[in-house]
Order: sequence, then C-alpha cells, then structure tokens
Amino acid sequence: MRCNYCEWRCELGNGRLGVCKMYVEDDNGIKERFPNKWCTCGISRIESIPFYHAYPGSRSLTVGTSGCNFNCKYCSNGFIAKEDPELLQERMLEYSPKELVGMAKKLGCHNIVFNVNEPTVSLPTMIEVGKEAKAQGIPVGCLTNGYTTEEATELLCSVFSFFNIGLKGLSDRFNKNYIGIPSAEPVLRTIKRLAKTAHIEIVTPVIQSANDDELDAISDFIAGIDSEIPWHVFRLLPEHDMKEAEYPNIEVINNALKIARTELAHVYFHNFVGSDWVNTLCPGCKSVVIERFSLGCGGDKLHRFLCHDKYCPECRREIRLLGKKTEWNSMEVQS
Amino acid sequence: MSIAIIDAREWQNIFDLRTGAKAEADGPVVKMVRGVLGAHPYPGDTDPGSNKWVSDVALDLIEQYHPQLVFLAYAGQYFTSRYTPMTGEERAKMLAAVSSEVNRFIAESGFTPIIIGTGTMTDFVDFIDVSRLDGLALSTHWSARYAGLHNPSVSDLIFLEKHPNIERIVDKNELLSLFNASPDEALRVPEHLLLAKEGCAYKTSSGTPRKALMVPAGSFHIPVSCAAGSLNEITDIRGIVDEGLKKDKVAVIILEGIGMEDFPWPYSSCINGRGWYYYEPGEAQYLTIMTGQHRVFDYPTGYKYFEEDQESKEYPFSGYFTSLPEGTLASKFSGRSIAVGNKSMFMHMVTGADLSVECFARNLYNQGTMGVVHRQNKV
Repeated sequence: MRCNYCEWRCELGNGRLGVCKMYVEDDNGIKERFPNKWCTCGISRIESIPFYHAYPGSRSLTVGTSGCNFNCKYCSNGFIAKEDPELLQERMLEYSPKELVGMAKKLGCHNIVFNVNEPTVSLPTMIEVGKEAKAQGIPVGCLTNGYTTEEATELLCSVFSFFNIGLKGLSDRFNKNYIGIPSAEPVLRTIKRLAKTAHIEIVTPVIQSANDDELDAISDFIAGIDSEIPWHVFRLLPEHDMKEAEYPNIEVINNALKIARTELAHVYFHNFVGSDWVNTLCPGCKSVVIERFSLGCGGDKLHRFLCHDKYCPECRREIRLLGKKTEWNSMEVQS
Repeated sequence: MSIAIIDAREWQNIFDLRTGAKAEADGPVVKMVRGVLGAHPYPGDTDPGSNKWVSDVALDLIEQYHPQLVFLAYAGQYFTSRYTPMTGEERAKMLAAVSSEVNRFIAESGFTPIIIGTGTMTDFVDFIDVSRLDGLALSTHWSARYAGLHNPSVSDLIFLEKHPNIERIVDKNELLSLFNASPDEALRVPEHLLLAKEGCAYKTSSGTPRKALMVPAGSFHIPVSCAAGSLNEITDIRGIVDEGLKKDKVAVIILEGIGMEDFPWPYSSCINGRGWYYYEPGEAQYLTIMTGQHRVFDYPTGYKYFEEDQESKEYPFSGYFTSLPEGTLASKFSGRSIAVGNKSMFMHMVTGADLSVECFARNLYNQGTMGVVHRQNKV
C-alpha cells in the first residue's frame, strides 16, 4: 500500500518504511509507528517560531515529534529530523492529545504550534490533538514544508488554523540538490490551497549562490496569491551537511529583496541577531506598527505593539493579523 | 548607557543594552570593540577552535585597551563533553588543549592568573522522567542535579520520593534557611527542589532532545589555582582577586566542566556551595565568584523563568537576566577591565567588566558575537 500523506507516496508493504520512517502498513492500512511521542513540549514566544502576524505577543506551546520527509542539507534540527526515529524514542516524551493540551494550559500557553520537524509525518496524532485543542478553544498552528498530497493538505486544514510554510526554492535544480525532492510543485499547490482558508506566512532560507537568484520569482509567486502574505526571508544558519559553509552576506541578500519589497506588503529578513528588518510597517503609510527584537534563531520577540485595533495608528489602514495582541502572562486564550 | 554591539559576521549593529533600542555610538572604545568583533568571528561552541577564540580575542583587547583585570571563560570542553562522543584518549587530548590554550594566554599576556575549574563532568547514566507529573518540574537542560517543583500533587511526591535516581526532595524553606534568604529572594523559589543522583538528569516537558553524553558531576569542591592567598570557599575567591589587584594585573580564568581530577595546575580545593548545595555551571556560580557572596536566588534553580519574559523585560540580548547584577567585581573596580567568554551571553552581566566580548550562541546555534561596553570613560 502506498502512503498518501506526502508526495513521496512511499510503498510501505511488508514492513518497509518510507522516507520519513514514521509510518508502517498493517492490516488496517497505514498507521503511525510512534503515536503521541514528542521530542519537546516547550514554551516559545510566537514571534520566535516565527509567526509575526498571528496572535502577536502570545505564548506558544511548541511541539515536535521525530522524522522528516525532506533531506535539507542545512537542516537546523538535524539531531531530530535526521535521526532514525527509532533511536530517538528513549528520549521522547509521551503525552496523549488530552495531556498535551493540558500541558499547554498548565504552562499558560495561548496556542499550540508544531514546529520542530514536519507535521505531515505525524498527522494522525496531530488530528487528535487538533480535536482536543478545538474542544478546549486553543488554536493550533504549524510550520510545514508543504509537501503534502492534496488529501493530506485537507487534513492539515482540519487541524491547523495558521501555517508558516517553507518555500525553500523554486527550481528543480535547487530542490534536488539542497532539499532532496524532485520539484517544488506540490509545495506551491499547498500554499495556494492553504491561503484560501487559513492564515499563512511563508519562510524562505536563503543560501547565497544557491537560491538567492530565485528571490524575485518567489516574491512574484507570493504576490500572485496575495501580496499581504507575510514573507520571512531567513539568512541561512549553516548547519548539518552545510556546517562548514559561509554565512550569507546580509547586505547582499538585503539588496536582493528590493523588488520583493515593492510587491509584497510584509517582507522580513531575519534569522540573525540584531536584524533591522523585523518590524511591521503599515503597507499604506510605512509607519512602524509593530516593533520586534531580532535575537536570532528561535529568539525573536515582540517589543512594541502599536496597532491595537489592527489599524495603523497613523493612517488607519488595516494591518492583517490573525487574532489580537495577547499579553504574555495573560490567561486569556483566543479561539 | 551600556552599549551592545552585535556582530553577525560581516555585519554589525549597535543597541542600548538595557532597552534593546537601536543606538548611535562612536568613540575610540566602541570603534575598538567593533574592530575586535570584526576580526574574530566565532567558530562555534563545539568547534576545536572555540577556546582559541577566547584567548585570541582577549589578547587583542589587552593590546588595545590595556586592562588591569581580565575575566576569561573557556567552555569549549564543556559543550563538547556534553554532546560529542569521545574516546578517553580524545577527551584527554581535548583537556590538554585547554591547558595549553590557558598557558598560551598567560605567557602572552603576562597577567597573574587565578584559575578556577567549575567542576568536572561525569557520564550520563539515566533520565529522571518528571514530564508527567500533576505539578510542574522545571530544570534547564544545562543542569543535572536540580529541578524546581511547582504545585506537586500527593502522588507526585510519592512517585518522586520512591524514584531510585532522586537523592531527595528539599523543601523550599530548607533552601531558604541554608542561605539565609530574604523574603524578596524567597518569592521566586519553587516549593521544592529535586536533587538528582550523580550522572542522572531530568527529562522535563521542555528539555532539549539533544542526547547528553556527559553531565556536570557532583562537585562539592572545585579547584582554584592562585599564586598567593589562602581560600577555603568559593566566596573567598573575590578577596584573593581584590588582593592580587593591589600589586598585579590579574586574569580570572574560569574553566567550564573541569574539576580537580582534570585540573593540570597546583590548586586549592575550594568548597563550591554550602552544606548539601553545590553550584552547577551557570550564572549563580559566576556571580558568587564575582561578588564573594552566595547568589543562589538571583535566578533561582527551577524558577518559572518564562513568566519574566514579557514585553517589558529589559536587557533583551542578555538571556533571562532582567537587570544588571549588583556588586560584581569589575563594576567596583576603578581600573580597566575586560571579559571574554564562549559560554553564552552572560559574561557582561556577571562580571560587570568595562568591555565584554562573548559568543552569541543559543543551544549550540552560532549567531555570531556580541560586544558590550559598560564604560567608555577610562580611556
């Protein structure tokens, strides 16, 4: 039987494992090997995940499992995503969906975000978490690489209400060489689909001389869907197989974003400490409406929120945000 | 105003350290630090060149700033021991390289060293799974012995009492009275402190999934090497430094993850805490060294750190620090001082040195470096 969760569509019969090593076939079909096993259930600022336009200021329970269906050369979570999931299990946490949502409440989290590896490799577990969270009024979001089948994309929609989708590159050359997939077409399809019904943001890690020549084309693609989709351009933090690679030059990459900034309302350039490009500007009058600190990988933070009713305080243009500003220590959850 | 200069490789930015706001700063000291940051990109926490980076940066700053007091933290061996598989031979070679690096610094700088090992490492043996309690157990993944326990149920306490890897459960009041805590200091201390047996570490809900190979050992004593003075306790180190500064230029050199069995210089065995409590590597141990007073409660073990991370928190580039610690050695010193370290972004807080240069790395992710200028008026 072929797995239908992602576009690898791996053949799983006779005990065979697929690319992600997270599913097997049994008499009842495809099932998870390690349901309800989590590599972490930590607290994060939602800006650090990053979501810049969803529930600003809120406290997220960030969760992940094991395994991945991509083989990114620069993976920054290789110690999870690239490890054989079997070998990780002794270190994993075990929480039922109800317990996981309970943990979010115990830690005072306003939402739950799947962000360490790829949620598609643990979709049945996440469906159950989504049901439980929905019952308790807690929003659930995720980071995804978007390499889902059309059917699995619909399942993602049933679980998550906000997404940050990795669009790593457009060309087959880049995707084959750096990501290990034949084409970005399924990812583009997923982005178009999710943008119709959910809040989405897009992230693109930039590798100098590998995909920085695609920035304009990626910007065109996003603008073609919706010019107000926030785009996070990440300076690559060389990890995993690229640990010895040079860090991309910040000025060069920033200069390459000139056209993008004319056609997209919200272009952010970060993933390095001290970035100047993490504030939200009003697309109308260019006033700063949300200020953030850029503390590098996994550390961004809300500093000042100036558009309290979702409108620019200067020109009253609406600023696209999912949910409202949340106080870090508030116990209020917005469903 | 204290200035933070961030260097993200070939790109720098300047901020007010306290508010995090962008700042304009110039002048010879700022230019000097910018130059040093630009000349010394950080190779990474577990890179073999990590400790050499500390010496190189310090020597460069000494040549330009001419300090009388230097603080150095060498942590490469600590991070490597935690996560990199090594044979005994490789580990011995790594530790020999640490002493070579320190000796190089001493020889090239001419400073009188006071060398402190923060405590040795031991093989990781087993987890204590506290992720499924009714209450909440909190422990940083850099700690092995301690976890704070909040709102435990009766069954939690029964489970923990019976746990074979838990040495004992300490009531909050016992910790408070051990260090004569003030009512203010008591506020953030968890109801209980869990003490793990040596070699064990906690599996908490928010721990790192990185596989720890070694953890801090039970270091009730730590080695301290100094040419003059006698010392018995960790709180005596401050006095030795103060005395040394009356006649020499002094370098306080802290070696992370090194205890008496690994320490290659003649040393005094120094009590690293009080009673049943010993310091693990972290800001409390550094602050105790730097102030000569036990500083267990600035950021109590197992406290709810995340509740202090609201928008209004100051010092955004200084991790969980919410204010500049009082009474640090260099903040009281009228001569020039510098600090360099590859532990994380905290040397500028715990030493109070005029100038600090440190790696900006989080959970082994190498973001670059940060220079902090607390004072520019000594040039």
